[in-house]
Amino acid sequence: MTRDAAGHASGIAADQRADAADPAVLAGDEAAVLVADGGEVAAVAGDEQAKLAAGDGAAARQERTRFGVFAWLRWGWRQLTSMRTALVLLFLLALAAIPGSVLPQEGIDPAAVQQYYAAHPALAPFLAKLSAFNAFGAPWFAAIYLLLFTSLAGCVLPRTFRLARSARQPPPQAPRHLRRLPYSASFTTAGNPDQALESTAAMLRRRRFRLRTGTGWVSAEKGYLHEVGNLLFHVALLGLLGSVALGGLFGYKGDRLLVAGQTFANQVPTLDVFRPGRLVTASDLQPFTVTLDHFYADYVRSGPERGQPASFNALVRYAAQPGAPEHSYDLQVNHPLNVDGVQVFLIGHGYAPIFRVTDGTGKVRFDGPVPFIPLEQSGLSSAGVIKVPDAQPQGLGFAGVFLPTAVDVDGRLTSAYPAALLPRVSLVSYAGDLGMNNGIPQSVYTLDTSHMHRLAVRPFPLAQGQSITLPHGLGKLTFVGYRQWASLAITYDPGQLPALISALTALAGLILSFTVRRRRLFVRAAPAADGAGGVVTAGGHATVVTIGGLTRSDAAGGFETEFVELAGEIMQSLSGGDTAASATHDGNAQVDGAQAADAKAGAVQAKGE
Amino acid sequence: MSRRRSLVRPGAAGAAWTLLAGSVLLAVTACSGGAIAQVTPMGGSGYVDGGYASHYYAPGSRLLAPKVTGTTLTGHRFSLAADRGSVVVLNFWGSWCPPCRREAPALAELARRLGRDGVRFVGVDMRDTVASGEAFEQTFDVGYPSLNDPNGLVALAFHGTVPLDAFPSTLVIDRTGRIAASVFGEVSYLGLRSLIAKVMAEPS
Repeated sequence: MTRDAAGHASGIAADQRADAADPAVLAGDEAAVLVADGGEVAAVAGDEQAKLAAGDGAAARQERTRFGVFAWLRWGWRQLTSMRTALVLLFLLALAAIPGSVLPQEGIDPAAVQQYYAAHPALAPFLAKLSAFNAFGAPWFAAIYLLLFTSLAGCVLPRTFRLARSARQPPPQAPRHLRRLPYSASFTTAGNPDQALESTAAMLRRRRFRLRTGTGWVSAEKGYLHEVGNLLFHVALLGLLGSVALGGLFGYKGDRLLVAGQTFANQVPTLDVFRPGRLVTASDLQPFTVTLDHFYADYVRSGPERGQPASFNALVRYAAQPGAPEHSYDLQVNHPLNVDGVQVFLIGHGYAPIFRVTDGTGKVRFDGPVPFIPLEQSGLSSAGVIKVPDAQPQGLGFAGVFLPTAVDVDGRLTSAYPAALLPRVSLVSYAGDLGMNNGIPQSVYTLDTSHMHRLAVRPFPLAQGQSITLPHGLGKLTFVGYRQWASLAITYDPGQLPALISALTALAGLILSFTVRRRRLFVRAAPAADGAGGVVTAGGHATVVTIGGLTRSDAAGGFETEFVELAGEIMQSLSGGDTAASATHDGNAQVDGAQAADAKAGAVQAKGE
Repeated sequence: MSRRRSLVRPGAAGAAWTLLAGSVLLAVTACSGGAIAQVTPMGGSGYVDGGYASHYYAPGSRLLAPKVTGTTLTGHRFSLAADRGSVVVLNFWGSWCPPCRREAPALAELARRLGRDGVRFVGVDMRDTVASGEAFEQTFDVGYPSLNDPNGLVALAFHGTVPLDAFPSTLVIDRTGRIAASVFGEVSYLGLRSLIAKVMAEPS
């Protein structure tokens, strides 16, 4: 068991070391680079391993247990914040959304949930226990998205700090053996090493490299914008998470069906559906009003597309608050109205036939438009109910259809065109108790006929102005006319703009980090050993200059060319007017070319490992 | 081995991040669809009912009720300010709303009994037609007037003080014209009576 724990611990230590080194280590195999950048953490990990290996006494064992718990916690956190977990959670989130879209939902359609209970009496209570009828508010759904949020934040936040650190870091010390780097070159020149380094540094500085110098070496690094891009991307990702949270907590959504001529005042009781964010209260709703003056729907009049919608225009007046000046707006599909930071979308339309119902006592008990809900697209046949619970001596109810362009097809009445060219209503009449006094909410679009009886009236299509006279002196219904309605989606999402900005920033960051690559150039200069390479110069001094190059994420390629160019330039800047020397350089230049090819082979090897 | 990790990981992680960011972006930017939906937005009951909540506001912390004026179902002008000096019970209802229908007898009875003690009852008939509203009042023998508020504008005036959180809603206004209590959801006879009694007992 003890060995097991130790095994895990050392595994973690190794992991951590690789991780810590990761952002800083370029593709090189120089141990010096590794130690310089990730040395601290690596050293700590090494210490821990040493402690574990030497652990003997009680104190050491205690230490080990403590470390074990800590290690497990850290291991758990590491697993949670890993990319793989985030992707799995994202997939799970999509999976968990399925019951919410397949099963009827309490918050959206309570009547359908009741129907589901009736249809599946054994299964429904079981599903209800699993919160399947309130899937998006279920604990398991919350668990997934909270874990996903934690995972993303836990992954992105440390990366952000690491990137911020690495963007400010000076280049590392030059490795001792530059020739081991993927790209290297060397040549011998006249002059002493300090002079050579000084002029090389000046040249690199002109080329806007970030420099670090030491005795006998110069380190230069360029392409920090790569890190800046990476950083931008990660910060933007955090911003995106924050924006989503902002919308989820403080945003709200609502729907409202508005008949032409009616005004909608944005508040809880006048919405048909209200889906508030977690922290939204009634006082957070912006008190604007929208009045629907006219609704125009235009349809294709001929050809194969006949009856297809051509355009929808809802002419509205709106005011940001009670008493504020009114403005007009032509509300169209995908052209939402913006009022007080809230977006109002046009999402549907239909017909609201107007009825007048007189009861048995001769009093008008209902007089107004009733929204009917479209059953199909091509002819806009719509269904609806009229409820007259307070008619005397009995409550009255009517259920039926509105046909904008009524045609008789083999004795069956349908609508041939969505515009109201020949509007007809066909209704079935009921009398009795509508079941509305028991306080149980019921849909305004369905009639509960369980305590009503159907009246013996032959359902025939009513034209405007025509009436049904009910038997037994129960009353009369008149089809007065019709209006159109538009349904509005009211959306308030304070996270929308931050989300857009974050998304654009993320994109910009990505582009930056993909197009700019980070590369390092190391130059060492040392006095040439006597007779080394057989170089004899006029001044008596000879200096061997070695150049090494390193890059990471060189997906686009091109560093090789840059390296050869830079090496050439350094060589040129160091060459004096000395002919003998320049001949030597020429000779070396050939060696250089061979080395570049060599370097290429080296790079391929490194990748193949 | 660790070196290969350092070589491979940045690329793989980058690709995964792009994928993840893409899906997050998709989720965020997914807006309400392109074509107009022929389906009504209200799959549900067609109105917001909500739960039950009763509040009593301490005399020092009360907000002044807004100006409430309008025409009653019977065509008379009404102004809440005219009732200053009396405790007023303001009930928001609609003849189409089953919970409103169930609480109606309690309200009508309370109005009859407490009317003798000077408590005024006023209804606000929302999203309704005058004919149906009058029929409702007849059914439940409601003896007090109701404002005709088909568009919910009377109710909207309470934004900034005690906005309605549910339907039906009932507010109790004290003698100085301040909102003393609110009931969101259906009232009960005893519950509302004790709230009114509390406000009545306050020194004027």
